[in-house]
Amino acid sequence: MGLPAVLGVNFHLTPGYTVIGIVLGGVYALAAVGLVLIYRVSGVLNFAHGAVAMFATFTAYEVSTVKGAPGWIGAIVAIAVGAALGFAIEYFTIRPLHGRPALVKVVVTIGWLLVLQTAAGLIWGATAYHQPVRLVSRDGFRLVGTDVTVGYDQLTTVIVALIFALAVAALLRYTTLGNAMRAVADNPDTARLWGISVNRVTAASWMVGSAMAAVAGVLITPLIAFDTFSLTVVVIYAFTAALIGRLSSLPMTVVGGFLLGLAQTYPRMFSSLSGTADAVTFALVLLTLGVLFRPGGRKVRVV
Amino acid sequence: MSARARRVGLLVVAVIAIAWPAILSDYSRSLATDGLISGLIVLSLVLLTGFVGQISFCQYSFAAVGAFTVGSLVAAHHWSFWLAMPLGVFGAAVVGALVGIPALRLSGLFLTILTVAVALFFDRFILASGTWDAFSGGLSSFVVGRPSFLGVHLDTSYRFYLFVLGTFSLCSLGVWNFRRGKTGRVLRAIRDAEVAASTLGINLTAWKLAAFATSAALAGLAGALLAVSIGSVSTGGYDLVHSLGVAAVATVMGVNSVASAAAGGLFLVFGPEILRHLGVSSQWFNLITGALLIVQLIVTPDGMVTDFQHKLGHLLRHRAARKAPVPATELDVRDDVPVRTGVRS
Amino acid sequence: MTPRFSAALLEAEHVTVRFGGVTALDDASLRVNAGEIVGLIGPNGAGKTTFFNCVTGVLKPDTGLVTFDGVEVGGLPPHRRSRLGMARTFQNLQLFSGLTALENLMVAVDAHSSRGMLADAFRTPLALFEERRAEERARALLHFLNLSDRADTLASDLPVGLQRRLDLGRALVGRPRLLLLDEPAAGLDTRETADLAELLLRVRDRFNVTMLLVDHDMALVMRVCDHIYVLDFGKMLTEGPPAEIRQNETVIRAYLGEAVS
Repeated sequence: MGLPAVLGVNFHLTPGYTVIGIVLGGVYALAAVGLVLIYRVSGVLNFAHGAVAMFATFTAYEVSTVKGAPGWIGAIVAIAVGAALGFAIEYFTIRPLHGRPALVKVVVTIGWLLVLQTAAGLIWGATAYHQPVRLVSRDGFRLVGTDVTVGYDQLTTVIVALIFALAVAALLRYTTLGNAMRAVADNPDTARLWGISVNRVTAASWMVGSAMAAVAGVLITPLIAFDTFSLTVVVIYAFTAALIGRLSSLPMTVVGGFLLGLAQTYPRMFSSLSGTADAVTFALVLLTLGVLFRPGGRKVRVV
Repeated sequence: MSARARRVGLLVVAVIAIAWPAILSDYSRSLATDGLISGLIVLSLVLLTGFVGQISFCQYSFAAVGAFTVGSLVAAHHWSFWLAMPLGVFGAAVVGALVGIPALRLSGLFLTILTVAVALFFDRFILASGTWDAFSGGLSSFVVGRPSFLGVHLDTSYRFYLFVLGTFSLCSLGVWNFRRGKTGRVLRAIRDAEVAASTLGINLTAWKLAAFATSAALAGLAGALLAVSIGSVSTGGYDLVHSLGVAAVATVMGVNSVASAAAGGLFLVFGPEILRHLGVSSQWFNLITGALLIVQLIVTPDGMVTDFQHKLGHLLRHRAARKAPVPATELDVRDDVPVRTGVRS
Repeated sequence: MTPRFSAALLEAEHVTVRFGGVTALDDASLRVNAGEIVGLIGPNGAGKTTFFNCVTGVLKPDTGLVTFDGVEVGGLPPHRRSRLGMARTFQNLQLFSGLTALENLMVAVDAHSSRGMLADAFRTPLALFEERRAEERARALLHFLNLSDRADTLASDLPVGLQRRLDLGRALVGRPRLLLLDEPAAGLDTRETADLAELLLRVRDRFNVTMLLVDHDMALVMRVCDHIYVLDFGKMLTEGPPAEIRQNETVIRAYLGEAVS
């Protein structure tokens, strides 16, 4: 079935780009869910989210690609490192700032961004080329009706991202910890009155959120340039998806992630400019902020 | 600190700033020059964050506007630096005001996200090789020669240093005058209690946009000077990490003091240099800055320079002469309102 | 009822405000004559805050009109209201915490001066002149408020009673014709409230400024006001001079009802 080429654009490629967009979107969604979890429970917008993901992913890289362990072991190591970093950030540098304005805590995470980014650069080389972390083989299958090949790794990425996102949703809905998290997110003081240890719940949210960032980081390595900077920057993409979810609705955040992934990929059909992904992201950020903060509109609940 | 102590201090600093570099090597002098230029960017943050309380992580993007305007106009189109530079500064101010528009409605947190998005947008889209070629007419980096000032060609490192020193001092003085005067009061009032400020008659929109524009203009000036200092303008040095780094240093030093600008700028430039001397990779500098930022926020929240100034002030405190209270006859009574006739209980 | 003869400076006529299904204000009318101090009282939830917002122009009534000296007030941006001669204090103070007491008052002068940032940067003669004038005005007012010794104290370091005085001073700097006071006695003890009452009367005598006062504190309202309006469930229950209101059965019941519930 031939689609006509319009304006020199070959629409044949649309399904292929769609696949890429969805895979990318899945990863963004996963990272964004972790970010929103941390934000809602602790009130801190974690600018180091991407840097944590990056650092954890590099440890996975070290374990599997460099040292030769299987990919999934690397992934587990990444999750552990991610959770540990999340805990460290919360326990050592956010908790002491209790009572200070939220903005101060955000600036602390910026400090962590610098620390983690530079540390990774020093350990693994800032601009060196790194082989992505391989979890699943790159063989694929053809999608019925088109000549698009979907790689098993791409399929795995989307499925894993969705599984983890659903797992978090289930955690929040059905477990004690999840309920405690929702209580703290709603009102920490009331939660305390109910006997919930706000400190423990907050630490847990940082660990879970950062673990998700780590998974997202590992999944994304085949898709983007795998260097210290690019992964750190994913935090902005996660933000954008989180903004689309109004920083509160997890389902909408997931939708936002996919939206962003597609929005970043489709323009590549028309333009070969290298920064189109960022231009699109920027436009989406402006758009979402404009809608969220339109005069007379309900304001986003800001802690 | 008493006014006299401050004046003496400034005099000493001025003498050192002018005399000492005369005997330094060219390399050290150029480092000092770059330090002052970085100091201008820190100064722009003192204005924006210290006065208005808005955090910005895209100051280097504004600097890029200044740098690239000068670069393209001087190198590609052979304009004089003295025409290109004001244009670059003005361009940066315009961009700053544009960024300020969404800032009018956004709270600090979301403004932060916006400035990061702006920085990335500039860094990876506008200044990226593909888009930029359209503007630059094919040149991927500009070579800019030194201008002449009042007939003196600023080609030696010492002359150029003095020129930058003068510019930096004037700008610092300007910001210091802002702080002492109406601008500083109004901006800080807006920062503290917006609603009350607007009730008093202050036009929030105009002032906020003006603050953004002026801050961006200072950064743009720094960019223009950087173009001339380095001698070339290329897309590498104005990225997000630079903007984050300068914001971090500004916070560490303390955005409430104008003196932080010089301290911060010199720190940004001489920090990596010292590391190099110690045989350590200068990459460590960002790490140290990040760590310092975290520690400082927890321990000395006002910033190191501000903290130091307070302590010094305590040490050197003289009792200020008490001003005699102005007699109440100064107050004038409205005489166009008829005196009440209602009955009082 | 004792007649009130002088010209109305502020007039609210048949103001109705609905929020969703709730009628916050129902055909409420009020008049403040030039030179008077008028009080608005009522139990919690009566609609005082809503009414105050209508008067300060923050809220536009669904029906009815609020005029200041004949000019409609609803929907006017804040700086326009300030130019008309309206000033207000805040229940939650909203002081400029990072500025000293002196600077807090100077800002109020700055708000009406026309010089721009450039004049400040270059310390032009105009800037220096206006700066001196502003400081003199501010210091004079500080002296009137008995705050001269705290001129260089940060506003956030002042005790609540002095902060309220500063808030009042800030509203007075612009020489307003009408001063709207939003719970000025909130957080003050009996002695401080008595001081506030005396201060308000002194302000009225000295500055000849008309006032509308919304508060819970009966002692203050009875002491200071020439005329009192009582609001309950969004409706104006009654109005009159303090002596009458004090003995008014409906009013007493409205407040007793609140005490019971």
